[in-house]
Amino acid sequence: MLKKPWNPYFAGSLAGVLLVLSVLISGKFFGVSTTFVRSASVIEQAVGIDTSAIEYFTTKKGKYGPSSLPNWQLIFVTGIFIGGFLASTLSGDFKIQTVPDMWKKRFGANPVKRAVVAFLGGAIALFGARMAGG
Amino acid sequence: MSLLYGLVTGIVFGVLLQKAQILRYDKQIGALRLIDMTIIKFMLSAIVVASIGIYLFKDIGLIKLSVKPASTGAQLFGGTLFGIGWGLLGYCPGTAAGALGEGRIDGLWGIFGMLCGAALFATVYPIVKAHIINIGEYGKITLPQVLGISHWIVIALLAVASILLFFFLERKKL
Repeated sequence: MLKKPWNPYFAGSLAGVLLVLSVLISGKFFGVSTTFVRSASVIEQAVGIDTSAIEYFTTKKGKYGPSSLPNWQLIFVTGIFIGGFLASTLSGDFKIQTVPDMWKKRFGANPVKRAVVAFLGGAIALFGARMAGG
Repeated sequence: MSLLYGLVTGIVFGVLLQKAQILRYDKQIGALRLIDMTIIKFMLSAIVVASIGIYLFKDIGLIKLSVKPASTGAQLFGGTLFGIGWGLLGYCPGTAAGALGEGRIDGLWGIFGMLCGAALFATVYPIVKAHIINIGEYGKITLPQVLGISHWIVIALLAVASILLFFFLERKKL
């Protein structure tokens, strides 16, 4: 149970139960992408940008603005990081890796190349996620 | 208190993602390449179980749905961009955080990229709102509402379709 991987149907079903419990107990559905918008507004404010002049950060009573943090979702995302660390350490899976195996096979072991594509991919994915509203 | 619930929920979710081995680039890209469907099994199982639970407690009146507005433009263009970015990064926003916890440094580069993508979206939001979100707007609708049938029929169809797909995936060893 501790070392072996779990069946994805089993783990997925538990994730479904976890979501239902979360909505029942704290009224929170799972989401991640707005945390990045909120964090970006905090960073922009910290470097001296006037976030009140950016429409998106002021819509829905500042739902995405700098004063929206810390909130449930930021801590939830932090929890995913901690959970990933705990479970991988206990399973013996934890390993510092700069280039994933499948990537290495196709594109080589250069970590800079991987970092640049990962960065661009993250930027495009989050832009798209916020556009779609999810 | 809300923050404590967030922490516990996040940790348990992170553990489930890790134990299902889906915090891995190889699994995520494996799904997009249709050669390893572990993620699809995890996601669909979660969706089916959660649909039943959420609607059960909604019917009893214990919880409220959180419906996102439907916009053909936003979801078509946003979804396509999300897919391109996901394919390049190899993690979605949540799994990038978990992947970093597993020691995957490319998850961190992805997170930095996401912060930039978020800032960029906030900057160009007025343009997106005026030209993309307004294409085919339907407001906060749900599938059972549009079809005019009980949500339990939709959930039953979803469950049956998912289970049939699972049998197919197992037979093909995907």
